[in-house]
Amino acid sequence: MKKTHIALLLLIVVAIAGISAKFLDFSTYETFSSAEKAPDKQFYVIGFLDKAKAVNYDAKTDPNKFTFFAKDKAGNEKQVVFIKGAPPRDLEKSEQLVMKGHVQGDQFICSGIQMKCPSKYKNDQTIGEKI
Amino acid sequence: MTNTFEGEHLLPGQIGYLFIVTAFVASLFSCFSYFRAVKTETADPSESKSWLGLGRWSFGIHTFSIIGIFAALFYVIANHLFEYHYAWSHSSLDLPGKYLLSCFWEGQEGSFMLWIFWQALIGVVIMKTAKTLETRTMTIIALVQAVLCTMILGIYIGNDIKIGSTPFVLLRHMMQGAPIFSVPNYLDFVKDGNGLNVSLQNYWMVIHPPVLFLGFALTIVPFALSLAALWRGDYKEFVKPTIAWTLVAGAVLGTGIMMGGKWAYESLNFGGYWAWDPVENASLVPWLTLIGGLHTILVFRSTKRALPITFVFLIFTYLLVWYSTFLTRTGILGKTSVHAFTGDGQALYYHLLVVIAGFLALSLGLLMYRWKTMPRIKEEEATLSREFWMFIGAAVLFIAGIAIIWDTSLPVWAPLVKMISGKEMAPPVDVIKHYNDIHVWIAIIIGFLSGLTMYMKYKDTTPKKLWTNAAIAAGLAAIMAMGIGYSQRITTWQYSFMLFSTCFAIVGSLHYGIAVQKLKFKNLGPVTAHFGFGAVLLGILLSSYNKHPISYNTTGEILNFGKGNAEAEMKENRENVILFFGIPVAVGDYAATYIGDSAVEGKDKRVYYKVRFEKYDSASQKVTESFMLYPDAFINPKGNQMGLSANPDTKHYMSHDIYTFINQATDKSKSDTSSYRTYIMHKKGDTAFLPAGFMVFNGFDKDIKDPRYKPGDSDIAVAANLTIFDKQGKQHSAKPLYIFKNREYVAHIEDTIKEMNVFARLDNIVVKSQDSAYAELKVRQTDPKDDFIVLKALVFPFINVLWIGVIIVVFGFFISLAKLMGGKAKPELELE
Repeated sequence: MKKTHIALLLLIVVAIAGISAKFLDFSTYETFSSAEKAPDKQFYVIGFLDKAKAVNYDAKTDPNKFTFFAKDKAGNEKQVVFIKGAPPRDLEKSEQLVMKGHVQGDQFICSGIQMKCPSKYKNDQTIGEKI
Repeated sequence: MTNTFEGEHLLPGQIGYLFIVTAFVASLFSCFSYFRAVKTETADPSESKSWLGLGRWSFGIHTFSIIGIFAALFYVIANHLFEYHYAWSHSSLDLPGKYLLSCFWEGQEGSFMLWIFWQALIGVVIMKTAKTLETRTMTIIALVQAVLCTMILGIYIGNDIKIGSTPFVLLRHMMQGAPIFSVPNYLDFVKDGNGLNVSLQNYWMVIHPPVLFLGFALTIVPFALSLAALWRGDYKEFVKPTIAWTLVAGAVLGTGIMMGGKWAYESLNFGGYWAWDPVENASLVPWLTLIGGLHTILVFRSTKRALPITFVFLIFTYLLVWYSTFLTRTGILGKTSVHAFTGDGQALYYHLLVVIAGFLALSLGLLMYRWKTMPRIKEEEATLSREFWMFIGAAVLFIAGIAIIWDTSLPVWAPLVKMISGKEMAPPVDVIKHYNDIHVWIAIIIGFLSGLTMYMKYKDTTPKKLWTNAAIAAGLAAIMAMGIGYSQRITTWQYSFMLFSTCFAIVGSLHYGIAVQKLKFKNLGPVTAHFGFGAVLLGILLSSYNKHPISYNTTGEILNFGKGNAEAEMKENRENVILFFGIPVAVGDYAATYIGDSAVEGKDKRVYYKVRFEKYDSASQKVTESFMLYPDAFINPKGNQMGLSANPDTKHYMSHDIYTFINQATDKSKSDTSSYRTYIMHKKGDTAFLPAGFMVFNGFDKDIKDPRYKPGDSDIAVAANLTIFDKQGKQHSAKPLYIFKNREYVAHIEDTIKEMNVFARLDNIVVKSQDSAYAELKVRQTDPKDDFIVLKALVFPFINVLWIGVIIVVFGFFISLAKLMGGKAKPELELE
């Protein structure tokens, strides 16, 4: 074997090892109830805004806190506390929400939301931390 | 349904579509002609020549048609012909003219057109310059052009299979069956278009997409030249043009990517220039592999080694461009990307899959066909040779690219994982950390190699000389790294390594350029590029490592994030601060005061918020520094929506940037809680209290100097002379006008005091006697507590190092290019 081949092989092995090790970084999509089982861990929960219940954002008392109710795919509902600021644009029009966060008691503490909007002409958007 | 409709302009669409069909057919014909020219080149040169002529002509027609498509679509958009779906969905009447071009790249079809356009122009340049390589290269380029044209063809095969989508489709065809189209004059009801996404209404978005697409388009040349070389098994001629075009492509694509970063930095509020977003990754990866290819082809030119791997790199670069298109255009990224284009459905998905598979089969087929017979050198290279380490560096770049694209392709392979384990895979919770953890190592290796390899020579290097030079560079780099690391408090060990490695790249290239190359300008291309690349890495490290919010909020409850300490908890959820009108709030070292906005009712939808930043010297209580920032936002960008779309504003210093954007603002058109209150002023000197301040009536003025008032025929204007005091005791003057004619009310002109949010109107003048009249004033003042913005402010240290680094890299590429084009067939690009 040539030196270059050995070097290349070595690089590939290291790269695969590294990538596999970092594979553990990948998260999973969960429901509220499955996320509840690991309350300290961050997950993604796919759900929908409960339009029947009030959303609440009052910048004067806390500009970083926005709460609303969401149902997950299994139909369970939780109050979501978004801690990165104001309500996202078009939230009430969204047809699906991907929320990043963890369960704390009966609330879901959320640091990032990505919305899927019904209009195909509009980009989906994310607020808070990148999802 | 009626068949005739009123007011439609069908001609531009028909012309445009005709051009599309012409462009498609012409490129197919050109491909065929060039192919025939290749086939007959050796056997029958005269026949080959006539085929060549046909190929050129048809490619010319193709290029002309592409320009025609552009003109037709531009006409449609510029004239607001909303009967066309493209104009309706991507533009609107109030769109500023400078953004008309941006409408092209908001949509799928327009950005394909941009790509076709650039490749057509590049094809013309190749036609003029490629000489004996022309026939083979142009066959490939014309083929790709034909394939790209199918993307905008928009024809149906049978009822279900649609190939491409044309930008000239009519609104009524796009939305068949909608009730509005049952009336012939439906256009009377389509008053305005959907408008351009507000985040694209930014000057960077006018120039970033064309440059990026030019970069993508340019990668076709190394690809086509590689295939041309493989086709004939002739590996001599293609080297020089391939290096030249790879340099150009690398410079342009790199610039385009960083322009995207600059756009994200200046107009998106995700807080930075790079977020490892799939769309960003998808453009970075081809650049990495392209740069890998650039280095291996340089090795090949000097040592005749590394030819097969060069083909692999250059071919994969172009295939990766297509794969990026697949990732970002088909909607497959859906859940994972902020700014992926929304999908055009299944049709495009399979269309692109077929195209990529086709190109893959073609290029790998050729590569495999020639693999065994490619020239190779039997003896091994020396361990201390430039070619060996350049090869290693290129391989590392390629592996980094593969790692990025693998992670980015999560939605592609996630279904497979689900089948096996039943788990629904999601991106890492902290995406940025995930990528940084991996690629800090790539940066460390690349940093070291870009410094060290320059000291080496092709074939073999004298170890003593090499190590002396490397030791000098390492010593200086260590000093520099320690200085920076200490002052910037870089403590994490991986990043300390990276700091040293980038310093080594910087110092090494400087030292090599001065001590070895003796600053001979034409030889400084690689040195400059490596120096700039070191600066880029350093800028990334410094600006990202110590990027921090300064807008901590101190009100509201603290939520528990299990971070263990109060400071970390606060960091987690206190990054937005509320600024009430006129009240200074501490933001970092500054006192930030929100002092008004640019909102004008019914005018521009973009509102600028004026925020004054002041630094006080605590000893003397004096303002030592003061500046204004104007972060802006579209409030309710499309009618009755919740929330806003914000653009940041940034204060640039040499050493850092202060980056601010609005997260929330009062929508005064909706939530203005104040209403007009009536105040009766009986006589001169009467005083009344306002929500924040008070006003004094100084009597009536008849001598009107208000520029808004144009004296009309026999009408009379009277002003109420008011002095209004704010809470700080500062005086303001207001003179609302009342205009009447023959004792009949005509109009009034309000006066406003922006700084106090006061709107005063002289509503009526009640005349009691000849010389006594009292004023009925209507005044409203928004309670300062109802006028606020929610602001986020971040500090990016030394971000300028990054931007300057990018410019230096590109400059280095062009020095190399100039030397390559000017030099007389010198075998080596860099000599000692």
